[in-house]
Amino acid sequence: MQRIFKRKISSLSQIFNFVNEILNKYNVNESASFSIILAIEELFTNMVKYNIYTDSDISISIEKNGAKIVVIMIDYNVEKFDIRKSGEIDITKSIHERKVGSLGLHLVKKMVDDLDYKYINGESRITFTKILEQIDV
Amino acid sequence: MFDIKIFEGGEIELHGRLDASQVDKADEVLAHVDKSTTINLKNLEYISSAGLGVLLAHQKRLKSIGHALKLIGPNKHVKDILTLTGFDQVFEIE
Repeated sequence: MQRIFKRKISSLSQIFNFVNEILNKYNVNESASFSIILAIEELFTNMVKYNIYTDSDISISIEKNGAKIVVIMIDYNVEKFDIRKSGEIDITKSIHERKVGSLGLHLVKKMVDDLDYKYINGESRITFTKILEQIDV
Repeated sequence: MFDIKIFEGGEIELHGRLDASQVDKADEVLAHVDKSTTINLKNLEYISSAGLGVLLAHQKRLKSIGHALKLIGPNKHVKDILTLTGFDQVFEIE
């Protein structure tokens, strides 16, 4: 199922409703739902914050494919930014050395099972998958 | 839905879902904290990097004046997030 959202942080409540509706339909457990929702929020807010030279809407689609949930997020009319290549953060740094921010993509990489990025004709397409435990299948 | 409450004695409680659309509310309250304070997370269902950023910013501010925030009672999911981001190294968590 696919839906289009306005490029603004206040779209998050609509996004959460949309995502929860689908994950409930697929009986996805609480733990996997938490990871999927968190990854979607982080990727969406990243698109809103950093792709500032466009006012295009953002597309989110969620499907169940066998024992996994596949999420595709598309940002239109933007510059290329391969999120897989974003720098690693050092979580062992002291409080004084830690930067506020940059945790979002770190969390995405930790919470999902596969992360793919494609850029074609100004379109950034991020695909991630979350493997469901047996109980969800 | 997110809410932040301050109790008599200074303890703070976070309720609901602290996502990027709610961080201003948390930041506004935490900005008034000027001494070591406990933040009770038992009713916090969800936190994203935006919420973590606010907590970290105020921890840095308070540490610079000799104080600190202490986090108590996170649920399993929130605790996992705190661990994955190394917040267990920069906050006392119970």
